[in-house]
Amino acid sequence: MHDIHVPSDIQARYLPRRKAVSLIIGGFTLVGFLAFFALLASDPDRAWQAYVSNWLFFASVAQGAIMLGVATTITRAKWNWSVRRVSLSFGAFLPIAFLLLLPMLGLREDFFPWIEKMEYDEIVQKKEAYLNIPFLIARNIVLPLLLFGLSLMFIVLAIRPDLGPERARDEDGDPARARWRERIAGGWLGQEAEVERSWSRMSRLAPALALVYAFVMSVIAIDWAMSLEPHWFSMLFPAWFFMGAFWGGIALTVVAVVVLKKLAPDFDEAMGPQQLHDLGKLVFAFSIFWMYLVFSQYIVIWYAKLPWEQEWVIHRSDAEWGPLSIAMLVLCFAIPFVALLGRKPKLIPGWLGAIAFIALIGLWLERFILIAPSLHVSGTPTLTAWEPLIGLGFLGLFIGSARWFLQTFPVIQMWQPPKEPEMVERELPQDAELAPRV
Amino acid sequence: MATVTEKERSELTHPDVRSYGEVNTDILQMLSRPGKAWWFLLGLSIAGIGLLAFSWGNQIINGIGLAGLNTPVGWGAYITTFVFWVGIAHSGTLISAILYLFRARWRQSIYRAAEAMTVFAVMTAGLFPLIHLGRVWHAYWLFPYPNQRMLWPNFKSPLVWDVFAVSTYFTVSSLFFLLGLIPDIAAARDQAKKGTLRQKFYSLTAFGWRGTDRQWHHFGKAYLYLAALATPLVLSVHSVVSWDFAMGIVPGWHATIFAPYFVAGAIFSGVAMVITILVPIRKVFGLESYLTTRHFDAMAKLCLVTGLIVFYAYLTEFFMAWYSAEDPERRVFWNRVFGHYWWATWIMLICNGLIPIMLWFKRVRHSIAALFVISIFINIGMWFERFVIIVTSLSHEFIPFAWNVYRPSVTEMGIVIGTFGWFFFWFLLFIRLFPPVAIAEIKEVLPPPMRPKKKEVGR
Repeated sequence: MHDIHVPSDIQARYLPRRKAVSLIIGGFTLVGFLAFFALLASDPDRAWQAYVSNWLFFASVAQGAIMLGVATTITRAKWNWSVRRVSLSFGAFLPIAFLLLLPMLGLREDFFPWIEKMEYDEIVQKKEAYLNIPFLIARNIVLPLLLFGLSLMFIVLAIRPDLGPERARDEDGDPARARWRERIAGGWLGQEAEVERSWSRMSRLAPALALVYAFVMSVIAIDWAMSLEPHWFSMLFPAWFFMGAFWGGIALTVVAVVVLKKLAPDFDEAMGPQQLHDLGKLVFAFSIFWMYLVFSQYIVIWYAKLPWEQEWVIHRSDAEWGPLSIAMLVLCFAIPFVALLGRKPKLIPGWLGAIAFIALIGLWLERFILIAPSLHVSGTPTLTAWEPLIGLGFLGLFIGSARWFLQTFPVIQMWQPPKEPEMVERELPQDAELAPRV
Repeated sequence: MATVTEKERSELTHPDVRSYGEVNTDILQMLSRPGKAWWFLLGLSIAGIGLLAFSWGNQIINGIGLAGLNTPVGWGAYITTFVFWVGIAHSGTLISAILYLFRARWRQSIYRAAEAMTVFAVMTAGLFPLIHLGRVWHAYWLFPYPNQRMLWPNFKSPLVWDVFAVSTYFTVSSLFFLLGLIPDIAAARDQAKKGTLRQKFYSLTAFGWRGTDRQWHHFGKAYLYLAALATPLVLSVHSVVSWDFAMGIVPGWHATIFAPYFVAGAIFSGVAMVITILVPIRKVFGLESYLTTRHFDAMAKLCLVTGLIVFYAYLTEFFMAWYSAEDPERRVFWNRVFGHYWWATWIMLICNGLIPIMLWFKRVRHSIAALFVISIFINIGMWFERFVIIVTSLSHEFIPFAWNVYRPSVTEMGIVIGTFGWFFFWFLLFIRLFPPVAIAEIKEVLPPPMRPKKKEVGR
């Protein structure tokens, strides 16, 4: 057990800006959304399935990354001092994710099979109190708004103490960004007061955010994935969905950290072996946990052999989807497990980044497999080039927003949480001696 | 840091422990002559064992019919208490292994007691399959052993998985427990009077520990590896226990969430039990400077987190039962809350869902007395959780014709109460034989002894 060294003078450093990268990101977005509209004209069902599964993936990993920041706030972690801000940067995608969610609320019979079944299927009719369009739309506006809103609030609290008056003078050559910093730091109270205020509010908000996360993500999982096979239900499904998202957030942080390490020597030094090792351990551990959840759900269904439960598994393990499901298990579990065993592989940035990236691809596939097989018409192709192509559009917006965040706000959090107030508050014994007895 | 200022000291994990020597004296004094309270508790435990022996003996002689078990409720108080004790056994390894890997320093003071609790709780839980067998002399049939008739247990049965899971867990947690003890036993050996039985016993169990660099090096490695091995075990054991139920298609049992839900519930009840046990120990042996409010605060938070996971599982269960639109499923859950066993369900919901809400408040977490009371409620609630799962589901399966009510018999209650005597008997012996607080690990978080700077010598 050793202390984590946090340097006391962290400089405000921003992500360097390069035109070429902007062009590539813009290109991704353009290609992705052109692909979506092209497919929408020829095969709208497939286009929307790809859209929804991509939305689920990007929204969940962005939210999952924020939850890493939240969880480490709750546990008062010190090791991630240099990567905390990186996980939070993906919060910039949340407003976009909310806008991208709105068109999904216009989906009807072509996406939700229960709408049609409501007319003749007795079992589905019994679920009408939950499965109906007005309630679906209402809860999918209110709940994400709540989750994303609280997350953004958390992020603003986390960056505010770093945006003191001197930040406005930072030479990053863009007055618009300086304005953002000024806007967020409006009503500046002074460094110490800001740190204290942010920290005490974050400490209170974090547990609440964790509860909201579990609840809202559960609803999203049920509405956008589970209800697509209206007879099927699994109690573990929502928890599996949000724990996968959390793990994705960790893997995403790893990929971002590895990229940042390449970009500037400052980042490379601050995000050192300690951070890589710990992040690597988390990717490894939560990959095993993901597999544990998959297995826990699978074995119960396999053992009982109940027709209405098996259906969902069979759709994902038949000749058409079986290979993809196996690929998902390999990408999400087998590769990270083997490749990250032991200490050394977790310390090699390129290796760790590659494995985390593979895990993210596995998770992307998982989100697709949660949706598409339920709606698939036998005989049509399963995974085509369209889905990743549409994903590029989301990826562009995703990277673009996180990049904007890291260019606007310091990449490494400069303020440090005050030492645990609980400990300092503690009463000292009356006869306290100044020096210890030796 | 030769001199530790008072401000720095207040940030330490054990601000009132001032030197290495003090740790040895304070902890090892627990092993000296026991007080009256200890003898009284030991007597009570032995009485419990007597009750257990009498009830079980009676059941062996007269047959399993003495238990209230009958169709359709073939699993009752025995299996409930089995799951209860396996659950209790979880926090020990969680605290020693998982919190170790997560670098949570507050575990130092409590992990020894928690680990001991784990070992004894598994020993208690292990009695129940034997008790429940009825003809206990056939217990060896549970194990796969080569035989010329090629008879094997049914490997597809979760009950056989359980035999493996629980015995593996027992082996690893005992090893972990004994390994961690070695340096502390050596400390006890060095302080014991020469030539006494105690000294010989410690010499034997300390495995020749001298505290050399080489020994510490091996010790550290072994500890880390065991921690890494024990971590998946914590999750797997109670998952397998949960599958005893979830593999069946009994409504209310067949739920995919059971594995993580049971694991969280186990840790929830285990941490509560650690609090229940440590509060009196702290009081009796005056360990206030070792088990500080911070430790209890952290344990309370752990309780809160796992309690919330359990509560999330309850909500999911009720929602999914409705959402499934399966008649038996819906009815079982309706029946839980408003049916014959409504009181058990409400005890469960209040003790596990409502009362832990108080742990959100720092004032409650910092009040040892409040925590003690809450932890007892959680223990009760978790026993009833298993009772509700097992009994309400079995008594109310698919066909109304086969519904029936189960009432635990006197024999069953005697055995259930008796096992508490059995558990505490071992625990009481433990706190008198081995250092119940890890001496060596507490020293790791104390400021190292250094010669004070010259100008301060005069003070």
